[in-house]
Amino acid sequence: MTSYVLYESASGYALFELIQHDDIASLTDEVQASVQDVQRFGRTVKLKAFQPFTSAENALENINAVSEHILSDDLKHFLELNLPKVKKAGKGTTLGVIEPALGTVIQETLSFPCKSDESTREVLRGVRLHFHKYVKELDGGLLERSQLGLGHSYSRAKVKFNPGRSDNMII
Amino acid sequence: MKGGAKVIIEAHRHEGVFIARSKEDALVTLNSTPGKDVYGEKRIQVEGPPGPEGVATKLEYRVWNPFRSKLAAAILGGVDHIWMKPGSKVLYLGAASGTTVSHVSDIVGPAGCVYAVEFSHRPGRDLINMAKLRTNVIPIVEDARHPLKYRMLVGMVDTIFADVAQPDQARIVSLNSHYFLKNGGHVVISIKASCIDSTAAPEAVFQKEVKKLQEEKFKPLEQLTLEPYERDHAVVVATYRPAPKTKK
Repeated sequence: MTSYVLYESASGYALFELIQHDDIASLTDEVQASVQDVQRFGRTVKLKAFQPFTSAENALENINAVSEHILSDDLKHFLELNLPKVKKAGKGTTLGVIEPALGTVIQETLSFPCKSDESTREVLRGVRLHFHKYVKELDGGLLERSQLGLGHSYSRAKVKFNPGRSDNMII
Repeated sequence: MKGGAKVIIEAHRHEGVFIARSKEDALVTLNSTPGKDVYGEKRIQVEGPPGPEGVATKLEYRVWNPFRSKLAAAILGGVDHIWMKPGSKVLYLGAASGTTVSHVSDIVGPAGCVYAVEFSHRPGRDLINMAKLRTNVIPIVEDARHPLKYRMLVGMVDTIFADVAQPDQARIVSLNSHYFLKNGGHVVISIKASCIDSTAAPEAVFQKEVKKLQEEKFKPLEQLTLEPYERDHAVVVATYRPAPKTKK
């Protein structure tokens, strides 16, 4: 039985394969300690594929889709390309998605079983912590630079496309 | 504050924060964009250490007003640790126009970064403009109640600072911590009692908020009121998922 997790970063989509990951124990101290250690974490969670966004506009399209739980064409292609065929994958194979609503959409479109539970969240905490170690090209501040660029374009679009032109009051 | 030569800059106990001593003392941070202020605050120029050619360099500091910034008020109030220093990564919830964010950006310096989240569009616009010049600030105009909406923009952080002034502040902070705060990372939360429950006594409100944090794997470290700068405000500092004590 293998399972996968999807990680969405500011630079692109990444798919990780989980080897011998224990679901139930994810909150015990020992497992938490192994999540902190990149060596030990890297043995159980392996990078399967990484697809960078092609341009700033492409990244903006994708973050807008992801934050509205829409399966973008890029993400659909990426998953179709890198996930095994459902029949071949065998029983119990799942894709962990951090956002339950996005997981549902993926499951409906690609008919690949998705889950988004506590253990997925814990794995993705580890992935977020060590992501720049997995994708060597992003080490040395490059990931932060793509976050900066995307943060600006995402936020600017939010401010610009406010139809009411007034503050959204929180009640 | 005039007469640059008379001002002496001293390092504060908190790394990255300084005190300008002259006729009156002031809390300051080293301006990362010399010659530019963010919100009309005063700037102080002093001679820095001589450069490689023996010519004295100019350093510029910005005055940090405790009446405008709860973090500055907490520092002057004697908080033990702000958990922000050069190189830190900070998630700042409730960034508003980015006045305090700009000082945090000075503290963490070019090696650190600040993810600044603000939901309202009008202050969000000012925040984006401020971040244009300060490249270690990542502006995020989005609702802090839905951290998954901005999950692509944020990496793991060392510290979360929250000043959201919402009744469900504790929930917002723990939600964000579950996704973005390192094990053993810290939260620094400014709590305005009347925002959470205007009928209860402030002390009781603070106690309740601390309790809520404890239920979410936080270990409270300290709590202090922001008198005389703010009324019925408290700052609470806590550790998230502290490392288990090793048995000897």
